[in-house]
Amino acid sequence: MLTSWKFWVVMAAIAGLTGLFVFGFTVNPKIVPSPLVERPAPGFAVTELNTGQPLDLESLKGTPFLLNFWASWCVACRDEARLLEAAHRRWGQDGKFRVIGIAVQDQPEEARKFARRFGKTYFLALDNSAGDISLNYGLYGVPESFFVDAQGIIRYKQIGAMTEQVLSEQIPKLIASKEQGR
Amino acid sequence: MTTRSDATTAHLLRRARAAAGLLPLAALALAVLLALAAPSAGWAQAPNQRELDERVQRITDMLRCPTCQGISVKDSEASFSRQIRDKVRRMVEEGQSDEDIKAYFVSRYGEWILRAPKKEGLGLVIWLAPGTALLLAGGWIGWRVYRGRRHPSADLHGAPELTPEQRERIARDLQRFEEED
Repeated sequence: MLTSWKFWVVMAAIAGLTGLFVFGFTVNPKIVPSPLVERPAPGFAVTELNTGQPLDLESLKGTPFLLNFWASWCVACRDEARLLEAAHRRWGQDGKFRVIGIAVQDQPEEARKFARRFGKTYFLALDNSAGDISLNYGLYGVPESFFVDAQGIIRYKQIGAMTEQVLSEQIPKLIASKEQGR
Repeated sequence: MTTRSDATTAHLLRRARAAAGLLPLAALALAVLLALAAPSAGWAQAPNQRELDERVQRITDMLRCPTCQGISVKDSEASFSRQIRDKVRRMVEEGQSDEDIKAYFVSRYGEWILRAPKKEGLGLVIWLAPGTALLLAGGWIGWRVYRGRRHPSADLHGAPELTPEQRERIARDLQRFEEED
């Protein structure tokens, strides 16, 4: 028979391990907080997939934007494609907000085909073959999206497919903070 | 009639012609020397390349594959891991230190990207916990063994010593069993 203190030590150990076990089930190991949130967005320079128009981070200063990393081979990117286009049409028409899509590990023609299929009209570009932009943004996979404010600070990161709820929460916040900053 | 200076000039010309005749031979010798030196130059570079490869392997072994479960960047064939390996190689070739390279990836991915936690803060607790647990368990076992040797009558299983009444009762019962047999 265990003495009283030994009984409680064993019980405490079992309770601790059970707690750890339960906690493990409530956490998605694939969702890791990004150290880039609340920090300046890493610089990038790209050219538009169809027009060749150049774009870099400096030229976006003063305009909040959504930087979406996607790929034509990515299944989850199909789920969010129309949502992103809808967000561009809703908030991105008067220059107060921009949606930018960067295709990673992709071929230009495949990316163009994907864009045509889902009717994407916002700014689309391709990361280089070394994946410099993806690595600078600490990508775990695609799709991933970064909400960047008018000062170039990343305010939110979405891992996985975009949702309507995230868009309607984050974009008005970014636009409002820009207008308050004036 | 030839003067002394004419003779000297002719002598010099003869020597120059002889030297010119040796030029192809000298060129051949130089080519042979270069051919012999080339493999040795290659051998001189090989350790550098090996060192570079070893450094890239060592660093990528410390980094976690972002798209896999429990595999290092070194062992993963995932496309993101390949890009990380190439990036590490470029950074090594640029002369960046191991710490600079690790710091770059930590600044992008967080401490999560390191397969071994840093030996500070909570990471230090994680490092020390297994060793501490082993030491405590070893100490406890050692103490029990020591106590058992010092007090052989002590019950190592923690049962209390018998009271005189209990001993008397056991003796009585044993005697009864013997009588029944």
